[in-house]
Amino acid sequence: MRAKPIIALVGNPNVGKTTLFNALTGARQTVGNWPGVTVEHKSGMCRFHDRQIEVIDLPGVYSLSSGSPDEQVARSYILNEKPDLIINIVDASNLERNLYLTVQLMELGAPLLMVLSMNDIAEANGLSIDIEHLASHLGFTALPLVMNKQMDLSVLTAAIEHSLTHPTNPQCIYYDEIVEKHLDNILRTTVEAGMYPLASRTESPTKVALAEEAYSALLQNRWMAVKLIEGDKEYSSKLNAEQKETVDKEILAISKHRGQEPGAVIADDRYGFIRGLVKDVVKRHRVGQWTFSDAVDKVVLSGFIGLPIFFGVMYLVFLVAVKASEPLISLISSSLTWLFVDKLGALLTLLSLPKWLNYLLSDALGGGVATIGAFIPPIFFIYVSLSILEDSGYMARAAFIADKFMRKIGLPGKAFIPLLVGFGCTVPAIMATRTLESPRDRVFASILTPFISCGAKLPVYTFLGILFFPKHADLVIFGLYMFGIVMGMLTGLMLKKTLFKSEPGNFVMELPPYHMPTLNAIMLHTWHRLKDFVLRAGKTILLVIMIINVLQVVSLPVGKDHQRVPLLKLGGKALTPLLAPMGIESSNWQASVALISGLFAKEAIVGTMQSLYQKGEAAENDKSNTPVYARNIKTSFGSSASAIAFLVFVLLYSPCAAALTMLFKEHGLKWMLFDFAYLTALAWMVSTLIYQTLAFNSGSIYWILSCVGFFALIFVNLRNIGRKHVEQS
Amino acid sequence: MLNNRNRGRLSRFGRRFMQRRESCPCASGDCLSLTDLPSGEKAIITCNKHLLIIERGLYQGMTLTMHRNDSDEPNVIVAVGDARYVLDRRIAREIRVKIV
Repeated sequence: MRAKPIIALVGNPNVGKTTLFNALTGARQTVGNWPGVTVEHKSGMCRFHDRQIEVIDLPGVYSLSSGSPDEQVARSYILNEKPDLIINIVDASNLERNLYLTVQLMELGAPLLMVLSMNDIAEANGLSIDIEHLASHLGFTALPLVMNKQMDLSVLTAAIEHSLTHPTNPQCIYYDEIVEKHLDNILRTTVEAGMYPLASRTESPTKVALAEEAYSALLQNRWMAVKLIEGDKEYSSKLNAEQKETVDKEILAISKHRGQEPGAVIADDRYGFIRGLVKDVVKRHRVGQWTFSDAVDKVVLSGFIGLPIFFGVMYLVFLVAVKASEPLISLISSSLTWLFVDKLGALLTLLSLPKWLNYLLSDALGGGVATIGAFIPPIFFIYVSLSILEDSGYMARAAFIADKFMRKIGLPGKAFIPLLVGFGCTVPAIMATRTLESPRDRVFASILTPFISCGAKLPVYTFLGILFFPKHADLVIFGLYMFGIVMGMLTGLMLKKTLFKSEPGNFVMELPPYHMPTLNAIMLHTWHRLKDFVLRAGKTILLVIMIINVLQVVSLPVGKDHQRVPLLKLGGKALTPLLAPMGIESSNWQASVALISGLFAKEAIVGTMQSLYQKGEAAENDKSNTPVYARNIKTSFGSSASAIAFLVFVLLYSPCAAALTMLFKEHGLKWMLFDFAYLTALAWMVSTLIYQTLAFNSGSIYWILSCVGFFALIFVNLRNIGRKHVEQS
Repeated sequence: MLNNRNRGRLSRFGRRFMQRRESCPCASGDCLSLTDLPSGEKAIITCNKHLLIIERGLYQGMTLTMHRNDSDEPNVIVAVGDARYVLDRRIAREIRVKIV
């Protein structure tokens, strides 16, 4: 055992690994009632009786055959890092399926401890499990654990201590006689090939420890031979041609004997063992398997009302986010402005600080804090709504409902989950595409995630929506969200016909049972996301506001009379002609600067606008209670048509720097550049089309035809690239 | 004319002759594709070659219940033991079952 032991939490998806991880380490990782919440391993520390232990939370896996990237993460960690103890978390309400992974871990010869979660659901479904009996069959400790906020960890910590100091070797799984004979032959061949180095984990070996280690090594050798029968590429590649031929002969003999694929033979036999075990230790008090979740699904997934319920739920999410946050936005904004701008400004004047420093601290930084404060209510409510959807188990059902549309755009229904996560933030949404098995689907889904308006775009929609359409702001915001989805679908359709011509991967997904979301879990979930948002957005917004203020002060002499013009104004004015077709006049250079700041973080758009529109014509003319910047924005945009075009541009143009970095990390530079260029070009075309249609004049036809032509050019190019790709492959 | 028994023998000989693996241990007519199983019906899996699906618990001999099978939808929902799965119709088509 290491001086600082490592414990890995392993189990099927959605069994409560992250909940246990949080309880053991005091961490606040996101949990949810849908498969694929954790897509990479997370590490935390815990202390038992003055001993530091590292706890690793691994992504949920159904088996140790490497499939999707999240499954590969879990498998390679178990195989390469060799943790001192594996806590196998097993869903008691679905014991048979969960034991498949347990059996594989047993075959691996890893030191194991089993924790049975979801005992309440098992009891409600009429199941009772004789846990002691189960443990005696498995050869290691198994204990039940109620995973709620009053989780009693004392029994578990004692069991962990015991398992670490007295590791037990699990029972060996035997296959049928003929399979065993061939397995033995493969084992002999691979031992001769020297595939299995014996790693010593014991620091001071005793006779017992050595014997246990030898047994564990034997189990591991056997496991590798089993993996060869299953056709594992990683191990097959380690054999030379002669050994491979011998092994292939043995595998063919197994296949002939059973009339099945070799992998299926092994899986069938494992389930044979599991069935016998489950029959022995599980008692079913109710014969019928109709559960509460089945009854709810009958309605929620119904062909007639499933879709209206789906749209109703989505609309409710935005209605809550907009309506509930409306009164809070003005309250928080005015309170923070009073404190950080007015009072701080007055205090700094009293202290006789230089005017520029007073402006920087009170107006720029204080104003920035007030801006961030105003974002919090809508984002808080949208995160609460998403948390309820995730914790209740509706997320997986939404993927099923959406599958029909997703197929039309060339993606499997499972890709809907990353897209739904995109309502919170695009970065985790791109990461969530790791749950998709096919690389094609992962890239495709990642390209479409920015079409889903993230939480950071909501403040921009709310700010401009309330300003230009005070009576119908909720409809405008919902319309923008829906428009993003429609544009995503159209892009999907286009990419399906051009770059991604192959069929989408197979859709196989488990429908988790419905849970009543607890207030504690929702608040924890929301707090975790909101804290991340405020810290990340706060830093970016303050930085952007500082830069903008500095660039506003630094000026250059321009023209014949050498009049000094701020650098920011010059840059904005240089870019604005490009935005003229979508209704941004040359005098409205502040809008261009706001869009550039949005490349750092979308939330920065509002802060930049509030900062840049402080000075202007409207400020002196209008004496109403509306803030100065609001009046200036209205004057500068001139019409609702240009405001709508601007909002659509914000919705569609390049994702923020963090999302682009994640795209680069997951899929490489090529796809990142494609997403940036395509989305920005699309945003320009669509915004121009909308503005020219709404404010139709004699020049509009020229712009509309230009947009259509430009789009046709993109389509033809993408189709040619797709065709070349198909020919090459 | 060949009877069913001899037809089976002949096809097994042909399969061996062509060195093809046996497709399914289920006489023709006894089994149906999972996509043909009506909603609410219970069936036993007689043939499944997808390792990924077998690992989820849909192994040969397991009983499943079809929860939802609308021909205009790309997926079916099945109950296997205590789990509920959404299965792609393309995969479900290749799984053979026998109604019980």
